[in-house]
Amino acid sequence: MAKNRVKSGGFTGAVSPWWIALTGLFLVVFFVLPIVNNLLNTNDLATLAKQRPMSFYYHKLFFDPYYIRIVFDTVALSVGVTVICIIIGYPVAMFLVRHSGRWSGLVIFLLIAPLLTSIIMRTFGWRVLFARRGLVNDFLLWADILDKPFMFLNSASSAVVGLVHVLVPFMVLSIASVLRSIDLQLEESARILGASRIKTFLRVTFPLSLDGIGTGFIIVFLLANGSFVTLLLLGGGDLKTLPLLIYQQFTISRDFQFAAAMSNVLLAIAVGCLYLQLRLIRRKGVKGAA
Amino acid sequence: MLLYVVLFFIFLLGPILIVVAISFTETEYVAFPPKGFSLRWYERFFEYDAFVDSFIVSVELAFATAVLGVGLGVPAALAVTRGNVPFANSIMTFLLSPLSMPLIVMGFALLFYLSALGLGVSFLSLLIAHTVISLPYVVRTVAGVYRGISPDFEESAAVLGANRFQIFWNVTLPMIKPGIFAGMLFAMLISIDNLPISFFFGSADTNTLPVVMLSYLEHQFDPSIAAASCIQLIVAVIGLFIVERIYGLDAMTPAS
Repeated sequence: MAKNRVKSGGFTGAVSPWWIALTGLFLVVFFVLPIVNNLLNTNDLATLAKQRPMSFYYHKLFFDPYYIRIVFDTVALSVGVTVICIIIGYPVAMFLVRHSGRWSGLVIFLLIAPLLTSIIMRTFGWRVLFARRGLVNDFLLWADILDKPFMFLNSASSAVVGLVHVLVPFMVLSIASVLRSIDLQLEESARILGASRIKTFLRVTFPLSLDGIGTGFIIVFLLANGSFVTLLLLGGGDLKTLPLLIYQQFTISRDFQFAAAMSNVLLAIAVGCLYLQLRLIRRKGVKGAA
Repeated sequence: MLLYVVLFFIFLLGPILIVVAISFTETEYVAFPPKGFSLRWYERFFEYDAFVDSFIVSVELAFATAVLGVGLGVPAALAVTRGNVPFANSIMTFLLSPLSMPLIVMGFALLFYLSALGLGVSFLSLLIAHTVISLPYVVRTVAGVYRGISPDFEESAAVLGANRFQIFWNVTLPMIKPGIFAGMLFAMLISIDNLPISFFFGSADTNTLPVVMLSYLEHQFDPSIAAASCIQLIVAVIGLFIVERIYGLDAMTPAS
C-alpha cells in the first residue's frame, strides 16, 4: 500500500529511472521486434522458401472451411475451458477465502503445487487415466454408466479435461484474491435486511467478484489459446487448434510461411482478448494488483 | 462444500500422484496400479544420454535465465514503482506484456528473428527467449514486494546524505531480497518446464528436458517419462524448499 505523501524534493527512488531504458530496450529488441518481424514476414528464412505471397495463406485461413473450422475451434475450446474453470473453480475460491481458516495456507499450497510439475507429467497422468483400461473407464464401467470402454484419448473430452486440470488453479487464485477484498459487512447487511443466502450471493457477492472472474477469464483464455502440448498428447487428433497446427506445420510440413500466417492469426486472437480486457475490466494500474 | 473441495483436490493432484506411483513400477510397461517396487526407471533415466544431457542443459538454462532475468528485471521494477517516472502504468504494462503472448508464437517469431540476426539455434538464443518470457514474473514479484515496503527507509537514508547507490545497496536491496529470490525461483520454474519456446530451439546441444521428453513420449510410452517427471519435480520442490527455509512462503507473495 503506497501512502500518499509529498515526495521529498528530488528523491526519485533508490534506482535511477534510466535502468528502465535498458530493460525496455531488451524487450523491444527481443520481444517487440520478433513479433513485428513475424507480422511483416521480412526475414530470410521464410523468404528462402517463399513461393507464394502471404496473402495466399491468409486467404486459405479465412476462406477454406477446414481452416475456418480450426480457427473457430481454437477460440471455442479456449472459451469452453475457461467457462468450465469458472464453474469448477468458483466454489473452491469461495471455500479458500471464507471457510478454510487455518487451512488456507495448505489450500493455496495444494493449488500451486501442480504448477511445479511439468505439463508433460500431468498430461502423461491423464493419458494413463483415460486409457482403454484406465481408471476412468474402469469407474464408468463399474458404475454402469458405460457398456464398453470409451476411447477418451481419441476425443476432445480428454483434452478439455487436461486443459481444465492445468488451468483451474489460475482461475481459483484470481477469483480468490478479489473475493478476499469484499467487505463482509456488505453481505451481513443484506442478510440483516432479510435477503436469503442465495439472494445475498447473487445480488451482493457475485457481482462484486466479477472483477476476479474477469481477470481469471483472461489468464485462462490466453493460456488455453496458446497450448498445444495438451492437445498433442490427449486430443487424439480429433480436435485441431491453431497452436497444434503450427506445431505440425513446423515439424511435419515445414511450411514456415503457413505457420507464420497461423501464428499471426493466433496472435490476433490474443490481442483481441487483451483489448476486451482493457475495455471491460477496470485496471488498477501500478498501485494495485497487476 | 468440504466434500466438493476434497474431490476437487483429488482431481487436481490425482494424475500427478499416479505418475509418481508409476515411476516405481517393476514392469516393462506403464502400469497403474504399479506392480512391484523398483528404481529401474530412475536408473534408466540416468543411463539415457539424451535425458541426462538435456537435463543439464535445462538446469544451466534455468539458472542463467534467473540471473539475467533478475539483472534486467529488478532495476526496472524498482525504477517503475518509485522512480517518479512518467507513464509508469504504461511502462509497467509493457514490461509485463510478454505474459500475454501465446508462447508458441513467441518461439516461432524468435527463432526466425534470431536466425536472421545470426544467432540461430544456440544456447544464447534459448537464454534470450527464456529471459523474455520470465522477465514479467521477476518484475511483477519484485515490484509487488517493493510496493509493500515503506518508502520512509530510503527517504531517511537520502535525507541523511546517502547517495543513490548507497541507498540501493544498503537499504533497498536487503529489504527486497525475498522478492528477488521469489522472482528467481519463478524464472527458473518457468524456464525448466517450458516447452513451446524450447521446442523451436532444439538441437543436439540445446535440447531441454521437456523437449526430449516430448519426442520420447511421441514414440515410446514407458515409465521412464514418469521417472524423468519425478526427477524434475524433485528439483523444483528442492528449489521451493530452499527459498521457503530462507525467507518463508509469505514473504514471497506480493503485497496487495
